[in-house]
Order: sequence, then structure tokens, then C-alpha cells
Amino acid sequence: MADHDPDSDSTPRTLLRRVLDTADPRTPRRPRSARAGAQRRALLETASSRRSSSQTKMTTRRHSHGARSISRSAYVQASGHLKEQTPRTLLKNILLTAPESSILMPKSVVKPVPAPQVVQPSRRESSLGSLELQLPELEPPTTLAPGLLAPGRRKQRLRLSMFQQGVDQGLPLSQEPQRNADASSLTSSLNLTFATPLQPQSVQRPGLARRPPARRAVDVGAFLQDLRDTSLAPPNIVLEDTQPFSQPTVGCSPRVYRSPPCMPHTGAEDTELAAGCKKRSSGPGMQTNSPEKLAQFLAGEAEEVDAFALDFLSTSSGVSGEDGVEPLQDGVEEAEKRMEEEGVSVSEMEATGAQGPSRAEEPEGHTEVTEAEESQGTAEAKGPGASSGDEDASDRAARPELVSSTPESLQARRHHQFLEPDPPPGAAVLSSEPAEPLLVRRPPRPGTTGPRPQQDPHKAGLSHYVKFFSFYAKMPMERKALEMVEKCLDKYFQHLCDDLEVFAAHAGRKTVKPEDVELLMRRQGLVTDQVSLHVLVERYLPLEYRQLLIPCASSGNSVFPAQ
Amino acid sequence: MALSTTVSQRKQIKRKAPRGFLKRVFKRQKPQLRLEKSGDLLVRFHPFLGWEWGMEVHLSCLLFVHRLAEESRTNACENKCGVINKEHVLAAAKVILKKSRG
Repeated sequence: MADHDPDSDSTPRTLLRRVLDTADPRTPRRPRSARAGAQRRALLETASSRRSSSQTKMTTRRHSHGARSISRSAYVQASGHLKEQTPRTLLKNILLTAPESSILMPKSVVKPVPAPQVVQPSRRESSLGSLELQLPELEPPTTLAPGLLAPGRRKQRLRLSMFQQGVDQGLPLSQEPQRNADASSLTSSLNLTFATPLQPQSVQRPGLARRPPARRAVDVGAFLQDLRDTSLAPPNIVLEDTQPFSQPTVGCSPRVYRSPPCMPHTGAEDTELAAGCKKRSSGPGMQTNSPEKLAQFLAGEAEEVDAFALDFLSTSSGVSGEDGVEPLQDGVEEAEKRMEEEGVSVSEMEATGAQGPSRAEEPEGHTEVTEAEESQGTAEAKGPGASSGDEDASDRAARPELVSSTPESLQARRHHQFLEPDPPPGAAVLSSEPAEPLLVRRPPRPGTTGPRPQQDPHKAGLSHYVKFFSFYAKMPMERKALEMVEKCLDKYFQHLCDDLEVFAAHAGRKTVKPEDVELLMRRQGLVTDQVSLHVLVERYLPLEYRQLLIPCASSGNSVFPAQ
Repeated sequence: MALSTTVSQRKQIKRKAPRGFLKRVFKRQKPQLRLEKSGDLLVRFHPFLGWEWGMEVHLSCLLFVHRLAEESRTNACENKCGVINKEHVLAAAKVILKKSRG
């Protein structure tokens, strides 16, 4: 048994063979526990010692091989109650049939001998490190299995072992305890392998774990109030200030467009709205003030436009304290508040608490609205809405800049909201206003407007060919040389056109056709009897153009391009 | 710009022929002349059918530029310069333009 093989020769197979040859043919069955175990252990120890001694050639696989083979040999010795098919014979069969390379056997093969000691070695086997359960025994039907299973990888072995388990279901009951043990070990091993992916994900990456979406608590009070306001002011379609639209945009034109629709609104509606607006407390006050404010509004109705701008561009252009120098905020509420601060005549209060651009002329109402609306937004110091007169001037001044930043949505809403009629002068003012900022917005481009469209495309096209030049030259070039190339190209194009004209006229045509170009190329000496056009096309043009120029035959007797 | 046999595909041609540029140049030079339309030509029995003038003009331009580059490179190498100078290009242009006069 303790054959000391030369390291180079020792393979599991050879070792096994030696073992089989030299092992005691008389295999003790019952009392194998002590002796077999001792033998097994001895075998293993010798094997391990041999392994350790034989270093390099043995790979881990071989180690497992050897271990398995050792165990198998041990089993062979230990078990084998079947005379006609002893493990030894089975093992010999395996050695004969199994391929040389891989003796990694998935050992779901159930041993015919249900010896508990067999289980132990199997345990030891598995403990030796290989995942596969080294089931030592071989069953008659499973003699082929090793051959089948041998080439498989570990995973396949596992799966096959599962299959083998199913196959083994037909085994006699004696097999069961062991099989169960094996199966349990198998499944445990399998479970180990299969269960792992689920668990660590949450443990290793807590960030990936799904969290319930955080929801803000609904402010019922504000919501109800908004409902009331909306119900009171049905004609106004209040657009909620949703986040995306809060960005100030440069939308002057929409304001112009929207102002006409606002025109039909009459002042009476405004007062009604004012009455039904949020600031009920200030309602009467507002109503009384509204007529005056209305006039004011009409006068300075352009301010609305400015209000938008004001909101977003804190300008120190003399805006009254109510507007304050508010930092540029995206919140629409702020814009609305500004509107209020402007002291627009009509106190239009937007129903929605978030954004109602309430035209509260009253400072108090204004503040109320602002406060209410500011509940969400930033706390802005909205001074009481004083007269809007001074704001006009400041607004106008600030308008060009502010206009650009007002949000479109805000404008839309305001135009809906602003019931005050837009008098034609107001509209005119409005239209003029957007025009100015538009002009202001576009930085003037003086100078090279004339020759530029003429030059640039021409230069661009020439540079196209200049790039080809620098590519073909394969040498560094000076910038002046490139300019010279452009000049040459210009000259060449002139020549080209002249020649094409001559050729077309020669053919009695007024239209230049491709054959003229071909003739030109021939005269240039590019196309000769040796070098045909097709050759040139293939050489210099991109592949995609080749099919355009060179007729190719395709299936169905069709030639492309058509000839 | 370039047709493809399979209509469904859209090809991105890296080195496109600047047909628009060529047409513009031609029109500026000879406004009285017309350029043939590209596309399917149904007239058969024509020897040179199927070509596109724009493509061929582009081809001739490429060849011209190629010859020019070769000539100027030769000139620069003759002068043992590592860089192509203006004079090299000028001399080359004289020769090549004469050659491609047709």
C-alpha cells in the first residue's frame, strides 16, 4: 500500500491501480470500523504525505483526485458486500472507462453498502474540501454515471448529483440512510451555494434595499382652504405651481399671447374675485380699494410683466420695500407675492394657496396672501404693498433683465388670473416691452454679417479639401501653406467649371452631366486606358460611394445603379 | 446624402462629399449653367448613366488635392525640409494646375 511512487508518475489513477493491485483482496466487512478506519486513515496519511512530497505536479485537483481515490480505495477495502460487483471491480471498471483527464466525480453515487462507516469517509471527503460529496460507493447502475459526470465542472457536478439523487431514488432502502445523509449533505451544500446570493445583497449593500417612498404629510388645512378658494373662483383656472415650471424662463412672447385672452375680463369680475379671494378679512378693504387700484392697475398694468421679472431678479432698481430685494427664487409663490406687492389694482387672488398670484392691492391682504403662500416658500420680507407707481419706473428699468427670467408658467397663470382688462395701451406696452428685452437679450453682432455667410461656407468647404491635403501630404505644414492650398483649390474649381461648361456646350447641352466630368477626368490624365474610373473610385472614395458609382449586379438580374 | 442599397438603414458616412458646397461653387461661377439632378435615371442605353456628377466632381477634386499634396511633398523633400512650406505648395500648384487644365 505504501508505494512510493516517483513523483512524476504518481497520478491518482496510477495510485489507485497500485492500490487495487496490492490491496488485500479479502475485504473485512463488519469489523472494518477499526481496521478500515485505520487503514483508511493510513492511506490518507500516506497519500497526503505523498502529496506533500510530490510537489509541483500535483494540482489541487489532483489532490482531490488523490483524496477521492484514496477514499475510494478505502471504501473498496471497507465495503463490498457484493461479490459479483465489488467496489473494487467497479472501481476497476471506472478506471478503464473513465477518461484520463478528469476523474472529478460527482459523487452522488450511492454506495451499495449502507455502512455508516461509509458515511464517515464521505464526510471526511467532503470535509477535505471539495464541494462534491465524495460518495465512495458505486452502484451498478451508476458505474456509467461517473463517466458521465466526470467531465462536468463543479456546478454541473452538483446538478448532476441532484439528478443522480433522483436516479438513486430507485435504490433499495438500504441505501436510504446513506443517501439521505448524502442528500442532506448535498442539499446543504447546494443550499449553501444557492442560498448565498439572496442574502448578502441586503447585508452588503444596504443602499440597494428598497425603501418605502417618503411621503409628505398632507396639509389638510391648506388643502381645504385652497378648495374653498377654488370653488369661489371657478372661472379662474389656477395652475398649480409645480416644480418643473418654477424655473424662470425667457418667455416674453407667451405673455404677449396671453394678454389678449385676459382682455375680456372685466373689472367687475375682478371685484368678484377679490370678494371671493382668500383674504376675506381684507375683502371689504380690498373691494373698497379695488376701484382705485383698478385704475392704478390699468395705468401700470405693464407692471405685471415686470413683476415676474422682479420676482426672479432681485433688483435694487428702486423697487419698493414690498418687493424687497428678494433673492432669485424659483418658487412661483414668490412671484405671485411680488405681484401682490406691486399693488395691482385688481385683487385677484389665485385660489391655490401655493401659487395664486393674488392681486391683493391691499398691503394687508397682500401680506396675508404672501404669508399664506409663503408657508411653503421662503420667508420673504414682503413689505406692505405700497403704491405701485414708483414700481413702474423701477420695473421698467428692471424689466429687460427680469423679463428674461420670468417663467412661462407664471405668465400663463397670471394672464389667466389677471382679470383686469388689458387696455390697448397696456397691450401695446406689453408688446413693446417684450420687444425691448428681446433686443436687449440678443447681443448685437456688428460687422461681419455681410461677407460672413458668403465666406464661411466657402471656407468650410475648402477646409474640407485642405484636410485631405494635409492628410495626403503626411508631413507637417505651415499655416501659410494651407492658405496657399485654398487658393489653389479656388483656382482649380474655376478651371473645373469652365471646362465643364465647354464640354456641355460641346455636347449641345445646357446641363452639365456626369459624362462631362468623366471626359474632364480623362483629359486631365487621371483616367487612362490603364486606369479606369472604377479603379479610381475604388481607391479614393469611401466605400459607401462605391455602390453609387460602380454598377453592381445583384440578385434577380438587377443592376444598381441602373444602367 | 449617400444612397444605400437597403433603404431602411441609415448610414453615417464619415467622409461625405460636400455636394452642397460644390453646387454652390458651380452656381456662383456659372449661374447660367445647370447641374444635373442626381437620382434614378430611367433613360437606358446611355453609356454613362448611373453616375452622379457631384460624386465625380468630388472625386476629381480629391485626385487634384492628392496630386498637389504629392507634388508639394516631393518639393519639400527635395529641399530637405521637414515641413511643407508655402513655396513648395506654390511650385507644386503651378505644375499640377497646368496638368489638370484639360
